[in-house]
Amino acid sequence: MRWGMAIELKRCIGCYACVLACKAEHFLPPNIFWNRVLIGEKGKYPAVTKLIYSVRCNHCADPACVKACPTGATHQREDGIVVVDEDKCVGCRYCMVACPYQARSFYEDGHGAQTEYYPGQGLTEHEKIGKTLYPHEPGTVQKCVFCKERIDAGLAQGLKPGVDRDASPACMNICPTKAIHFGDLDDPYSDINRLIKEKKGHPFHAEFDTQPSIYYID
Amino acid sequence: MMQVKPWDFMVKYTPQREWIEGHGILVAFAMFFGGVSGGLYLASLFFGNLTGMVIAWALAALAGLVDMAHLSKRMRFWRMMLKPGSSWISRGFILIFLFLGAAGIQILITWLAPGNAWEILFKVVAGVLAFGVAIYSGFAIGIVGAIKLWNSGLVPILYVVSGLAGGLAVVMLVSLNQDAASLVTISNYLLAALVIDAIFVATYFWSATYSSVTARDSAVRVMKGKIAPAFWIGVVVLGLIIPIALVAPFSLSQSASTVAFGIAAVGAIIGGIMLRYVILKGGMYSPLLPDE
Repeated sequence: MRWGMAIELKRCIGCYACVLACKAEHFLPPNIFWNRVLIGEKGKYPAVTKLIYSVRCNHCADPACVKACPTGATHQREDGIVVVDEDKCVGCRYCMVACPYQARSFYEDGHGAQTEYYPGQGLTEHEKIGKTLYPHEPGTVQKCVFCKERIDAGLAQGLKPGVDRDASPACMNICPTKAIHFGDLDDPYSDINRLIKEKKGHPFHAEFDTQPSIYYID
Repeated sequence: MMQVKPWDFMVKYTPQREWIEGHGILVAFAMFFGGVSGGLYLASLFFGNLTGMVIAWALAALAGLVDMAHLSKRMRFWRMMLKPGSSWISRGFILIFLFLGAAGIQILITWLAPGNAWEILFKVVAGVLAFGVAIYSGFAIGIVGAIKLWNSGLVPILYVVSGLAGGLAVVMLVSLNQDAASLVTISNYLLAALVIDAIFVATYFWSATYSSVTARDSAVRVMKGKIAPAFWIGVVVLGLIIPIALVAPFSLSQSASTVAFGIAAVGAIIGGIMLRYVILKGGMYSPLLPDE
């Protein structure tokens, strides 16, 4: 089993809903983004094309971050999801340096870092709940986990990630245009594999040679 | 500092920040101390300079401590040694610890009971480990495929040569009270190391301009951008031209100038640290969005 994602670029409208859903799902602190939307353009007037890419950790099959990590804190689960064990991370940031997609963030609490969404106003109720439900270890590296908590809980209930909402990543669930698809890349009959094959999905920057698990469909 | 607007992050060329800005500057110092430590130990072995060996040991300890100071979870530092099979940081940390042990024993033997077989054995072992300490940081960044400026086989060699030049400069500094012939001998080796260092620095940045668009942009940024003064003044003038100009006139004579040699040695040391700074600061990531 290897979880993966397919993103249809023509459907993406750059609404940032995936970014916000991810932030809410994991109670991410200020200035930490596990999911980003990159917006640019190519070509010259009048033949200009707007580019919108929803990006996150690619959960590469051959991840540079796992090789770089000196402690084993960054490791790959059997289902292909690359995770960081906050209890083992020493904060050397070699993984951040090594990631060609720059999909990792360093969480600082204090030392001049913004700790509240409304500086000087105290924590909101949502932030207070987050500190209890989804505590983040300051001084460690963070990244997208493909909503592994939802996947694990969903599988335990007999649900199918990518099909059942309760077992699927928050960014996929929230996407208003259904641009994001999720499923098992190792299952040749999965919907995501069919979609990648039919619509000629391609990994983001295959030349980085890390075998990403996220495919983009032009 | 090259500012990247949040909306330009990875849309345009994005500078590497984690290992140079804020606490990250400690990485440059750790690389420098490690490189000079390895080079100094090897140079001290060659010249039989016990003071140099002690300083090399202290610099290796300093490299390890500065590495630890860079960590946000310092009490977990021992975890840095758990993945030597894949991580160069892990390998480097282990090399530093092994070097501290082997060189420490060798220094004690040389000091207390010189001339026995154990001394030779530990000199060989510590010498090999010193080479590892000098070269590991070059591999640590040389294998980072994400940063094209760093991703070169020349980086480890450059770091070793620069470490040797720095090490010879320290040997020079601790030997300034010696006779002119000894000083000229050391200065000749320092001159050779600096010339080779200059050739590798030039080759490294020249080859970067041909390897990829991102590497070329990084090299141009180093030579013409905001970090150009650090490169031209710190690395080229202070680190190479002035030391070479001060040392070269004495290379064929038997006279020595402690002032000229002292300034040359200090310049070479400054050049070594500026080289690490410039290479780390010049690192950039390629944009993720297609441009055509």
